[in-house]
Amino acid sequence: MHTSHSNIRLRIIKDRLFLALVVLLSFAMIVPLLLIIFHIVKNGIGVINWEFLTALPRPMGETGGGIANALAGTMMLIVLASLIAIPLGVLAGIYLAEQKTGRIASGVRLCMEVLQGIPSIVIGIVAYAWVVISMGTFSALSGSVALAIMMLPVIVRSTEETLRLVPDILREASLALGVSYARTVLKIIVPSGLTGILTGILLAIARITGETAPLLFTAFGNPYMSLNVLKPVDSLPLMIFNYATSPYPEWHAKAWGAALVLVVFVMGMNFTAKVIAKRWKVQF
Amino acid sequence: MKKALLTVIALVAALAAAMLPGARAEAKELLGAGATFPFPYYSKLFDTYNQEKGVKVNYQAIGSGGGIQQLKAKTVDFGGTDDFMKDKEMAEAGAPILHIPTCLGAVVITYNVPGDPAIKLTPSLIVDIFLGRIEKWNDKRILDVNPGAQLPDMNIATVHRSDGSGTTAIFSDYLSTVSAEWKERVGAGKSLNWPNGLGAKGNPGVAGLVKQVPGAIGYVELIYAVQNKMPYADVKNKSGVFIKPSMKSVTAAAGVAIPDDTRVSIVNTAAKDGYPISGFTWLVFYKEQNYAGRSKEKATDLANLMGWILHEGQQLAEGLDYAPLPAEAVKKAEAILKSATYDGASIVQ
Repeated sequence: MHTSHSNIRLRIIKDRLFLALVVLLSFAMIVPLLLIIFHIVKNGIGVINWEFLTALPRPMGETGGGIANALAGTMMLIVLASLIAIPLGVLAGIYLAEQKTGRIASGVRLCMEVLQGIPSIVIGIVAYAWVVISMGTFSALSGSVALAIMMLPVIVRSTEETLRLVPDILREASLALGVSYARTVLKIIVPSGLTGILTGILLAIARITGETAPLLFTAFGNPYMSLNVLKPVDSLPLMIFNYATSPYPEWHAKAWGAALVLVVFVMGMNFTAKVIAKRWKVQF
Repeated sequence: MKKALLTVIALVAALAAAMLPGARAEAKELLGAGATFPFPYYSKLFDTYNQEKGVKVNYQAIGSGGGIQQLKAKTVDFGGTDDFMKDKEMAEAGAPILHIPTCLGAVVITYNVPGDPAIKLTPSLIVDIFLGRIEKWNDKRILDVNPGAQLPDMNIATVHRSDGSGTTAIFSDYLSTVSAEWKERVGAGKSLNWPNGLGAKGNPGVAGLVKQVPGAIGYVELIYAVQNKMPYADVKNKSGVFIKPSMKSVTAAAGVAIPDDTRVSIVNTAAKDGYPISGFTWLVFYKEQNYAGRSKEKATDLANLMGWILHEGQQLAEGLDYAPLPAEAVKKAEAILKSATYDGASIVQ
């Protein structure tokens, strides 16, 4: 009687200990993130004002100036890369979800897995060889091609996996009513998985927003405002890289400010993706 | 939700349409890439040029080697380099290339010794410190050159660049010039097999590491030491005078005979007031500008820019701690610029 009692107490103590350990480790996991955010906000918030967001950069030795060219450039790169990657990625994802077996499907799947693992700098060099060399100039377009290649695997995979989760009964019901296969896919299956597809797209955008390496030899950078897709443009990560390695404390401060803007943007993307996934989820 | 989606698509399409070329009159533009060291100077230079002449010059600091590479790939209008192109590189470029010097740089020896004493160094001391032969700050040979300096009994830790750099090229060019042993054991170049010491990336990396490690000694561009308020050593030049690195002593270092193509190393200068670890930085471009479908306007814009840098541009250098060109270099550079052609005809009259 006595032994079993102490045994239970021992078990309760063990249980508590493990709970404490798990909670502690979970907190430890978010500490790096909090530290990063704290550091960026602490160093970056001081330089952020209306001028910083809307003015062009000033050269060394002059005060003021901002990051408007990099903001516009980053937006342009994202829009262009999305225009390339979303149609391709979603269509490929639909195909893979519908065609579960077969040589082409498994080939595409393998390619996407390999593509996901290729370092971004390599993708940048490929885009340089394909687009920059053949066009004879650095351009926003070449940067977008590099970023689009990075977006593809994320979009394809999330589209495929979401559409796989759409119950077969929906498809069967549609087909039983005499709806054609193409219409079933486009009107029943894709809309049912739209939230998942959108989430995937937003995560893909969040992934490419902070990339510097593929832009070094493609989008190139530009201290002036340029909205021409065939000319070089600046981007936030590139600007942070350039400013952070300069000898001037003023430029270091601007790099922190640009980093804060970038982090806020990426976190906003991730947050929106979460909200979309939760709010608009189609219940089966 | 369908409506929302349609709105998004319409918005994206409108944005894309706005970004298409030809929508507005194109401003004049020139594209350049290369050396990182003169980038702050160039950023000021090109901003002023845009305000005065309305030509947008986009210069990206991707490194000297990268700048030459992109010029050869014909993706930029001009390159920038701290290390002039050797004959072999010139031959690989396929067509003659012109070098226009824009300003001067210096590599200074910065250190972290408690109390920040002023230190003087001779060429042989620098060689022996970076070869690891002098291990303590209070070594007798250092004290002999610095009588009365308060140097502690502390180990010397040398710091060098881990990445390929024009700074290392100038520094090792100097050491190879003053020491046959260095030339044989380590040599000169953008990246080297260092006999000892710590490596750090970029000028900021070296400056940062020297600041953190007591007893450290490293080499950075003058402007980094000035901006980071770090002490730097006076160095004994060829004439036997200890020279403090400054804009003036760097410009003085270039006060030697300069060849007509300005491709010259001025380390270990014979100039009496010259700081010995100095070098030119250049902009490079093709002599014949009619290539890869370039217009005559572009060639004229480029030549005008170079001419402007040699004159008006020089006045902007000093305000940013860059040493302006000596008069002789400007004269030589003008002659080079005049030799630039479009379809065989001189661009600048």
